[in-house]
Amino acid sequence: MRTVEPIDRDDALLRRSAKGDEDAFLLLYRRHQAPLYRFALRMTGNSWAAEEIVQDVFMTLIREPKKFDPERGALGAFLYGVARNRIMKHMERTPRDLSLDAKAEAEPASLKLASQEMTPAQWAEFRERREQVRAAVLELPVEFREAIVLCELEELSYEQAASILECPVGTIRSRLHRGRALLLAKLEMLRDVPRRANAGR
Amino acid sequence: MTCEEFAMAGLDLDSLPEDSPSKRAAVEHLRNCPHCAALQENWRTLRVDLHLLGQETNKAEAPARVEMRLRQDFRTKHRTMKARRAAVVAAWSLAAAAGLIAAVSLVTWRFQRNPNVVRREPPPQVSPLVSAGQFTGAAAVSGIELGDVLVASNNSGDFTLLPGSMPSAMEDATVVHVEMQRAALGALGLTVNEEHAGDWIQVDLLVGNDGLPQAVRLPENSN
Repeated sequence: MRTVEPIDRDDALLRRSAKGDEDAFLLLYRRHQAPLYRFALRMTGNSWAAEEIVQDVFMTLIREPKKFDPERGALGAFLYGVARNRIMKHMERTPRDLSLDAKAEAEPASLKLASQEMTPAQWAEFRERREQVRAAVLELPVEFREAIVLCELEELSYEQAASILECPVGTIRSRLHRGRALLLAKLEMLRDVPRRANAGR
Repeated sequence: MTCEEFAMAGLDLDSLPEDSPSKRAAVEHLRNCPHCAALQENWRTLRVDLHLLGQETNKAEAPARVEMRLRQDFRTKHRTMKARRAAVVAAWSLAAAAGLIAAVSLVTWRFQRNPNVVRREPPPQVSPLVSAGQFTGAAAVSGIELGDVLVASNNSGDFTLLPGSMPSAMEDATVVHVEMQRAALGALGLTVNEEHAGDWIQVDLLVGNDGLPQAVRLPENSN
């Protein structure tokens, strides 16, 4: 039986966009820009860099739409792949860019609510802790940071993360394990942990 | 379950399926290993921190200026493509027009150099020599003697082969319209009435590849 291709499917929209349909391109952009921007922002810690990366990703889609092969996977995964390349290039250019300019962005409503319930001292401590966690995430090696960003911050499933990072689920588990251990170490959360009962085994 | 196995699979206890053997083993290990219990507790705290960090940016989107810039780029790219396509069409049209002009100029130039060459026609039908008995339009070829002599038949507009010509060699022959004195037909092997030998007549000659006339036709208005 012949299946009808929905006109708002990513690959159909991309075909229309390649022929000059601006509305189709905008639909694609609005559908994918937010997760890509968040991924780039969390990976680089810099909103300007994230903005530039998102722009580069969609420029690629405008200029070379044929680079995407629907038979190799979904458009979302392809865009994440392009974004990862741009992130790597960005980090090669500025390897120690730990800009925390997200501070300048408005606090989310949930944090505003939390700030009202805390004393100024508690609030200062909370914010300090948050900055420490953010810095620790940004200092992780890229492959562990990607896994932590996708599975812990973006809260994607292991399968979704594996599809985006184009690796097996087992690799995601192992990267998460290493990433978590590194985070705990960086935040000195291993200091009070007693020695392993079976360390000598 | 060892501590390494617990760290790999059991640290994130909530993600393990309920009542699965691995979860039961992890819980059992947690009860007996203070190291992993403390690690588990610290991980839970860190997970809350990570969750809060994620919440900070979970509504983040690319600024509107990115969309504006992309729209501009999209329009520029597609406008450029259209312009390029139009330029290609225009270039081909110009080339075709130039070719046409060159061809017309060449034909005109050749015509001016040799006015006898007017046009190439498809190989005309060539009728064999006819005798006076078969000739039906004698009146049309005034000045040519009838009888047991060669005459040019013009009753059907066909060419008459000249003596010694081969019909098979006419594939690429050229028709040449010339004006000549009737006496000149004698040189082609035709009999000419001497009274009209000095008349100027229009004659179509079928010239073969070797440049020699192979057949002749007298158009009606040449009589």
